[in-house]
Amino acid sequence: MDLVQLQRQFVDYKTSLYHEGFLDEQFTQLQELQDENNPDFVVEVVSLFFEDSERLLNELARALEQQSIDYKRIDAHVHQLKGSSSSIGAQRVQKVCIAFRNYCEEQNVEGCLKCLQQVRHEYSLVKTKLESLFQLEQQILTAGGSIPIFSRVTKLLKGIYLLSSLSLYHIFSV
Amino acid sequence: MATMRRVVQSSVSTSDATTTSYGGLTSCKAADIVISDQFPAGLRVLVVDDDITCLKILEQMLHRCRYHVTTCPQAKVALNLLRERKGDVYMPDMDGYKLLEHVGLEMDLHIHLFSIKTFVMSADGSTRAVMKGIRHGACDYLIKPIREEELKNIWQHVVRKKWNENKELDSGSLDDTDQHKRGHDDAEYASSVNDATDTSLKPLKKRSNSKEEDDGEIDNDDPSIKETTLELHQQFVSAVNQLGIDKAVPKRILELMNVPGLTREMLPAICRFGSSPCESDIYGLFLLFDFTLLSDLVKSIAPHPTFMQKFRLYLKRISGVAQQGGIANPLCGPVEANVKIALAASGQIPPQTLAALHAELLVVAMDQPALLQATPQGPKCIQVDHGVAFVQHLVKANPVAPNTSHNPLHLLKMLLQGSDHGPLVTLVRQDPNGNMLIDLLQQQQQLQKPQQRSTVSELRRSINVQPSCHVVPSQSSASFQAGNSPVSVTQNGSYSRTAVIDYSLISSQSNCPSLNTGQVSDAFLVVTYPLLLFLPSVSSCSVNADSCASQQVQTSSMTFKASRLLPGFVHSTSNIPDPYGSTKSGDLLNQEPFNDLGYINKGTCLPPTLAMERFFSENIGTRVKQEPSMEFGDNAKVGIPMLQQQFPPNDLMSKVNPVKLLVSLSRNTVNILIIHGWASTRHLVYGGNT
Repeated sequence: MDLVQLQRQFVDYKTSLYHEGFLDEQFTQLQELQDENNPDFVVEVVSLFFEDSERLLNELARALEQQSIDYKRIDAHVHQLKGSSSSIGAQRVQKVCIAFRNYCEEQNVEGCLKCLQQVRHEYSLVKTKLESLFQLEQQILTAGGSIPIFSRVTKLLKGIYLLSSLSLYHIFSV
Repeated sequence: MATMRRVVQSSVSTSDATTTSYGGLTSCKAADIVISDQFPAGLRVLVVDDDITCLKILEQMLHRCRYHVTTCPQAKVALNLLRERKGDVYMPDMDGYKLLEHVGLEMDLHIHLFSIKTFVMSADGSTRAVMKGIRHGACDYLIKPIREEELKNIWQHVVRKKWNENKELDSGSLDDTDQHKRGHDDAEYASSVNDATDTSLKPLKKRSNSKEEDDGEIDNDDPSIKETTLELHQQFVSAVNQLGIDKAVPKRILELMNVPGLTREMLPAICRFGSSPCESDIYGLFLLFDFTLLSDLVKSIAPHPTFMQKFRLYLKRISGVAQQGGIANPLCGPVEANVKIALAASGQIPPQTLAALHAELLVVAMDQPALLQATPQGPKCIQVDHGVAFVQHLVKANPVAPNTSHNPLHLLKMLLQGSDHGPLVTLVRQDPNGNMLIDLLQQQQQLQKPQQRSTVSELRRSINVQPSCHVVPSQSSASFQAGNSPVSVTQNGSYSRTAVIDYSLISSQSNCPSLNTGQVSDAFLVVTYPLLLFLPSVSSCSVNADSCASQQVQTSSMTFKASRLLPGFVHSTSNIPDPYGSTKSGDLLNQEPFNDLGYINKGTCLPPTLAMERFFSENIGTRVKQEPSMEFGDNAKVGIPMLQQQFPPNDLMSKVNPVKLLVSLSRNTVNILIIHGWASTRHLVYGGNT
């Protein structure tokens, strides 16, 4: 695949992640934080997130297997997972965490188990997606290109959209 | 819950105005706030979060804001970092809120002084959680995920507080400021906390503004904390009493108190003046003043809400405790203030107090109420101690001194607690010629007499200072020594007040040729336990820090905790170079920053230090606390509150490097008294490792 194609693919893929709710603006922020001094910032943070989340998920599974469930502890874990996923921008994970916490408060073990499953699912999804994204990035870089700056792209798109909607309005109002 | 706390510290750069931004913020008088161009870059931030992902993100964000960041995944470690002591915290698993509390409790003064702002960050945006954060003293509550813009604005909290303080200083209408602030905060809080429903998908950017750590506010909202600390305080006091001054070392105290979870580090906080965190800012308040600015000082001290209110609160509380503490009450009054007050104050002061108040005399009145009375007896003694307070009137006595035109009356009230030593105040003045006037020499002599500790009556001395009294070091030392002998602290808690008067210290002037006392007569007031050290700033005195008897200080075995400095008042001596600042900041900071702060005024370093040294060495009985902590600002006036401690005898005569003295003093725990000083954070390098 040539560079331009790679880049287009990258942009499309990323856009879809946003549209599907896997990522949100926070992820954009992360990208913006990356600079020359810290060129692998996003990858590092995301890896940290993966490690941490896996640990948390294991803890959660273990906690829910207990005879007498310690909901406080579970809540704490979920809270942490929620926090880290929101910092990364893993929106879907975050949403499930919210529901999870509600079940925790109600001390509903069924609900909790169901949520745990959902969280795991969402987590593995976002993990796969992000890994693919990074792979694409890597490919682009090795091909000698530069990563399209997503924020600019989205802004551009937004601008175009606005422009087009405005012009339409104008036409109608006339 | 995984809360994160971020402590923003204003960083201090003593000599180097450019390095740390916030350091550039010095406030002399309210108007003079200088902000360096790089502000707020360099603001020191300590981030604590158990979620390493967030930690990393925040670190990067803060780096981008050009703050100095230190990250820390554990509350324990963070607390240590703050205290500049590594790995020594005996704290069971601390969660974010506990850390917050501890920081609040122990670092109250620091918080005020150094504008340490605590922010709570959490993914939990519920009102309940926000409230909790606020109640624990957070300056602000940020909801995760945090956005960079929010972080960029944290510095304003630090600045705002400083500016408000300065405003208070100047206007004297603190109540207005407080109310305004409170009102403002409430409004903000109400509007912003609507929040954080978890169902919201977007990261919540709402912040709820907690009421800021407002040194003017009495923490009436948190009676539980107050009560707890009060109890702890009482326990502490009785423990100390039981052990006796000599043996009251932190370890034993802890054992006696037998409170689970209590650590050494918390002792100073407990032992201090107030019993509630909100009162802690009185603890370690140094009064530094320059005679030239004395009127400002008085003006600023008097209306200072924190001091006054808290002091009164404390007095009220104490007067319940101390039976004999008749003195406590009268003290309340005088603090109101104005300069002329001294007279007014004296009126309010029980007759025993002050004596001669001459316009041109330096008068130091020491008052040792209940404390003295109490013949040291058991636990009761301690209670009585609370009533100690003294008022001093200082009147410039030296005709030679250019600034004698002031008639500054300075009222100090200290309530000392828990110590058997009464406050001892000495005033030392340094005339423009660089000769230390042993103003207090007379005082000392007078003091020697009334050592009737056994008497129930307060021991009050008023000292008349003869103008242009020069003290020869040798003489003074001799006299001081004589005076010191009765000072021995007995187990029962009798104090030796006179011991405090180590004016020989003052005489040290001759020993410190390097001391350049160019200007105005500076006087420092040394008050022994609770020790108030006033080191008036020498406006353009350039002190050679090194020449002073640094060895003394260093070798001194006293461990002293500098009390925190209350930044409330600023006396500007901005033009005063800070010889010590740069050198000392490094040293100082690594001490236990809590509880004791000393600002050293360069100019005054010599005499006061000597005095202090001497005093401490001879008079102080036990070191209650071992952790050293000292902070000082360069230009700032320095006040060192000191608890009664027994310091190993030092050679008084040698020049003492005031800075070093402060350092050594700071190693003792100090129960300080009031320090009113210039609290430019610029000069305070507060802990932290970055």
